[in-house]
Amino acid sequence: MYELGKDQRLEKYDLAHTTVREILTEMKDVSEIMVDLAYASIMFDSPEIAEEVENLEEDMEELSKTIRIKAMLSARTHKDAAKLSSLLEVAAASRRISNAAGDIVKLIDWEVDKRPFLSFILREAEEKIKRLTLKEGSDMVGRSIGELGVESETGMRIIAIKRGKRWIYDPEEDTGLKASDTLIVRGTDDGYDILRSFATGEEKWPVYPEEEGED
Amino acid sequence: MDRLDEMLLELKDTSELMIDLAYSSLLYNNKEIAEEVVLMEDMLDELANNIQRQAIERVVQDRDEGKAFAVIKLAAAVEEISDAAMQIASVTLREDEPHPVIRLSIKDADTIITLAEVKEGSDLVGATLGKVRLASQSGMWVVAIKRDRKYVYGPNKSTKLELGDVIISRGPPDAEEYFQDLCSGEEHLEEH
Repeated sequence: MYELGKDQRLEKYDLAHTTVREILTEMKDVSEIMVDLAYASIMFDSPEIAEEVENLEEDMEELSKTIRIKAMLSARTHKDAAKLSSLLEVAAASRRISNAAGDIVKLIDWEVDKRPFLSFILREAEEKIKRLTLKEGSDMVGRSIGELGVESETGMRIIAIKRGKRWIYDPEEDTGLKASDTLIVRGTDDGYDILRSFATGEEKWPVYPEEEGED
Repeated sequence: MDRLDEMLLELKDTSELMIDLAYSSLLYNNKEIAEEVVLMEDMLDELANNIQRQAIERVVQDRDEGKAFAVIKLAAAVEEISDAAMQIASVTLREDEPHPVIRLSIKDADTIITLAEVKEGSDLVGATLGKVRLASQSGMWVVAIKRDRKYVYGPNKSTKLELGDVIISRGPPDAEEYFQDLCSGEEHLEEH
């Protein structure tokens, strides 16, 4: 597994140049992926995923500090400050969600033999977290997540990819897929079956004719 | 799955629903939705208390303190998530018009929330959610349905859609257009 130090990880957020708006979006995204990853770490008994959740918790701390400073600096009037304080409350709420995710992954440290019921429960959730492996013959291989439109096509969101020993968490639109990748996905049973038929190569990824008049 | 497991599952699913609803209340500056989050929070608190009580009873009965401990810890974490949803909803309830940046930030997220009305000519009229398989076909997950003045939260496969329903759903940004067109009747479901 490749490991990044905290400073290197934070570089991707480019905190000096981001706006309050961008940081708030990032905090919402990170907090939600953290909850998914936290449940995934329990289900698949993965200390590696748990560790990533802990890393993201540190990132959230930094994001949360930065958004407070930026918001304070941007307030010009009393009215501004009042509105911004509500915005900071939304940021605080996403931080709270990330803390909860951090608490969930702590469950992985204790009582291994007492935990199986947790994955059993999580398997029954409305939106399930599952995994699948990309086969050589799948036409998803060599294409990016965004190019395929994985989530809009199947309703399944890829929350992490295991490639050899390496993990890619919360992959981007331009993340390419490779044969033998293990995908950790979230969605319905129905969506999972559809995605699996593409991932095994049983079904071809659908191609839509370009619609006229669109960019 | 025993009763305790079922309650824990309900707790988890409800907390996630609350987060989606809380963000959508902010996005659409809709106090009604925010009020619903408050009601769900009361229900969820009670559920969490029941879970913790039952977990303790289990320790007394079966001496299974490991499981009880894990259940209590998980329930507490999930409650924390629902508290965060409450915090978000409280902003909607307090403000006449939340800071415009909040709305823009929510709109830019990886997962968006959108609202659409089921119009005449839409394939969704009279169909159940199980039949149209909206989540796997459009990528959009139905969070709630507003029918007349009432909201149906966390609808299931047998929930039937009707003309005039307003659907609140969550999904990837590139699925929004198809979903909107499906509701308006400009786009149709694929035949299978």
